[in-house]
This record gives sequence, structure tokens and C-alpha cells, in this order.
Amino acid sequence: MKIAYFPGCSAHAMASEYDRSARLVCDDLGVALNEVTDWNCCGATAAHSLDHELMLGLNGRNLATVSRMGFDKVTTPCSGCFSQLKRTGFELKSSETARRDIPRVMHLLQFLAEEVGLDRILGSVVKRVRGLKLAAYYGCLITRPKKITEFDDPEQPMSMDRILRAIGAQTVNWSHKAECCGGGFAVSQTSIVIDLAGQVLEAARQAGAEAVIVACPLCQSNLDARQKCIEEERGIVYALPVIYFTQLIALAFGHPAGKAGLKNLLVSPFPLLERIGLL
Amino acid sequence: MNSDYRPMRLDEIDDSLQREIKEKCGVDVETCMECGKCSGGCSNGHIFDFTPRKIVQLVKLNAEDTLIAMDSLWICLSCHLCVDRCPSGIDTARILDYMRQKAYRKGVTTRPKISLFHELMMSSVLRSGRVSELPLLMKYNWKTRQYINRKDAVLGLKMLLKGKLRLFSPGVKDREEVRRIFSTGNSKPTGGRP
Repeated sequence: MKIAYFPGCSAHAMASEYDRSARLVCDDLGVALNEVTDWNCCGATAAHSLDHELMLGLNGRNLATVSRMGFDKVTTPCSGCFSQLKRTGFELKSSETARRDIPRVMHLLQFLAEEVGLDRILGSVVKRVRGLKLAAYYGCLITRPKKITEFDDPEQPMSMDRILRAIGAQTVNWSHKAECCGGGFAVSQTSIVIDLAGQVLEAARQAGAEAVIVACPLCQSNLDARQKCIEEERGIVYALPVIYFTQLIALAFGHPAGKAGLKNLLVSPFPLLERIGLL
Repeated sequence: MNSDYRPMRLDEIDDSLQREIKEKCGVDVETCMECGKCSGGCSNGHIFDFTPRKIVQLVKLNAEDTLIAMDSLWICLSCHLCVDRCPSGIDTARILDYMRQKAYRKGVTTRPKISLFHELMMSSVLRSGRVSELPLLMKYNWKTRQYINRKDAVLGLKMLLKGKLRLFSPGVKDREEVRRIFSTGNSKPTGGRP
């Protein structure tokens, strides 16, 4: 099985552990990830905020490269990149000069849930993640808007819950699995992130979760790096590790914590993982 | 009651903005039934000056000046909750994008820091084809004169030690192609004017 792979800018630094664990897990599953040649930034929040044509141009170049590489599908671990690539593909397809060779864009979570499947994931598990109560957090852009993403349920998504349950964990029912974390305002309007990411952490705590599992570098950073600020603001200590779903799968596949990049997280997941004997 | 009072008639209002949005964005606000599910779900609705339902009505009222000057444009998170919850399938997030881009071309912003951050991000993409987080943060702090912010410095140092921030990251090889894409777009990043 092979697919084109779009890592996105954050894979180089902020979310390098996400990129590494994604490659590790796909390798174990027999999926060859072919990095899009000389890919450029998707434009993130900035491009679509200021200039629609620029957003289409930046993502159009990447989609054209995917086709030139001979792939009809491309996957990305970042929800921001996913949203921009997916919208561009959608608009190019429905434009008057519609091209036929526009590749299908899939979020990595979608690719693992729909194309690889739970059976194959289960088949590679060597250490079940028993005794963990997790909040599967999808954020906004993986499933929304539904007519463009064509993935899962925008109000009550379950694909990540199913994967986490398949590798042995328990997932909680909670209110904020598809709410927004504050997205790209982490730097330019931090108060919005403190407010929204704070609501997400509070909901996870109230549902009894011991960790929040994410599938987006921005969600991870807003919930993890800003958690101290949120705790000070709310006067509550959450100490909730915010772990990429690929990192947890990598652990279940028998990789050591260091290789799965768990040391890169700011809120340490080690006390929790030691307690359940996963280390 | 004022004797001059006469109810507003929608068919007497200039519908040029409504037609423009239908043509340019493919969004038809005619089908709005004012149920307000968009505003009820809106992630940032509690701090918007005009909530999504009002924004749709402002389009119908041809209130372009109000739309361009509103704060909601800049603090919309593009989370698309309003889009998915609309029973009429109105893409309000797309309307906000369209009006924000118009405002930006006219040099109007209610949140200079947010538009500056967008601009710096785009100039990074123009320069190297990709975004490097640390240089972007440093430039932003410099431009907004946040030279010494202890909290950010401590967090930045922690992230640096965890490998979450790096000084250098590889860019695109075909820079010429990236510049060409920018020249076809409508905006020209200036490198950030506050």
C-alpha cells in the first residue's frame, strides 16, 4: 500500500514527533509514505484569511505535484493542511475548467481508519494500552465542513475513538471532541486560545479523561504548550498530557517512548504511562 | 410612533452585495431562514460584534461598509461550525473570508496584531515557500515591540529544549514557482506593516 504524504511546515519543528510517529506507524502497517516532492506551505490560516486566489495557488501546486508523482491520493497529518488542500481540490473540481486528475486528499486519521482499517491496526498491536481513560479530541477541521471533508460526523466523530479502543484503551464520552481549540490565534490573540482551549481541557477533565489524544499540531500545541497559562487563569491544575494518536499507536506497536517522541511533549505523559506499565 | 414610519421592504433594497457573494463565493444567502443555529454554535460568537446570523442579514441589507469594518472578520476562527449547522447550507465562513479579503485590500483591520501575523506568515512563505515557526515568532515579537515578555520567553525556551522550535528549517527549492503563485494572487505581503 502506498500514498503520497504531505507533512506540512510544523512537521519540521513544532510537531516533529507527530511526523516521526506517523512514519513509524505507517511503516509497521506496510504503508509507504511518499513525501510530496518539494512541497510548499498550504498557507494555513493566513492565506485564506487574506487572499483566496493565493490559497488556491499554493495548494494547487502541491496537488499538481501529487498527480505528477503518479498518485491519486495524498494524506497529511495536519488538520490545517488537510482543510486547505481539501478545499482547493473541491474548488478545482467544481470549477468550469474542471480537471479530472485532482488527487483525493485524506487526513491521516481518515486514511488509517478507512483505508488501512481497524483489523490491520489490531494485527500490529504487541502491547495493548490497557487501563487508560482517554478523550479523543478531533477539533474542527478534520470533519468540517462536511460537504468538503467527506469524513466522519462533524458533531459526534468516532473514528479516533474506534482506533484507540482497538489498541486497548477506553475513551470517554464528552462534550468538546469537535469544538475549536483557538486554532491559529495562539500567538496573535492568545486570550482566545486560553479561553477556548481551557474549555476543552475542562470538559476532558470533567469527563474523567487522563489524557487528551489529538490529530493536529495546532490542537496539540494549544492544549499542551498553553496548559500552564490556562491553569493559572482558571486556578485548576489539569496536568493532562496531550498526545498525538500516532504516538499512542506507536507505543502499542511496541516502540519505545523515546522513538515515539513522547519526550517532546511539554506536559509529561510518563507518570501516566508508567502507572499502566506501558513503559 | 413616528408617522413617517414605514416597514423596510427587502425588494426595495439594493441587492448588489448579495449578488456579488452569490457569484464570487457561490453562497446564496436568499435561503437563510434566520434560525440562528450559526450564531448559537459559533466558537467565538460571545466576543463577535456581529454574530453569523446578523452577518447574513447585513449582506441582504447591502451593508458593505458595516461588514468591512466589523471586528468579527478578524476573530473568526474558521472552525466551520456555522457552515455545518446551517439547515440551508449557507457557507458563512466563506462570506467572512470574502469580506475580510476586501477589508484587507482597503487596508482596514480592527485587529492589527492578527493581520500583521497573517502578513508575516505569508511573507515567510513568499521568501522560502514554507513557514519557520521560530523566526516568525521572533519577527512578530519584534514588530509588536514585545521584546521582553518573561512568560513567552520561558515557554519559548522550554519548547526550544523539547525540539519544538528550531532556528532553521528547509525551504522550497523552486522559489521561482512560489513567487509566480504570489504574483497571481490579489495581495502582496509587505513584510508586515503594523
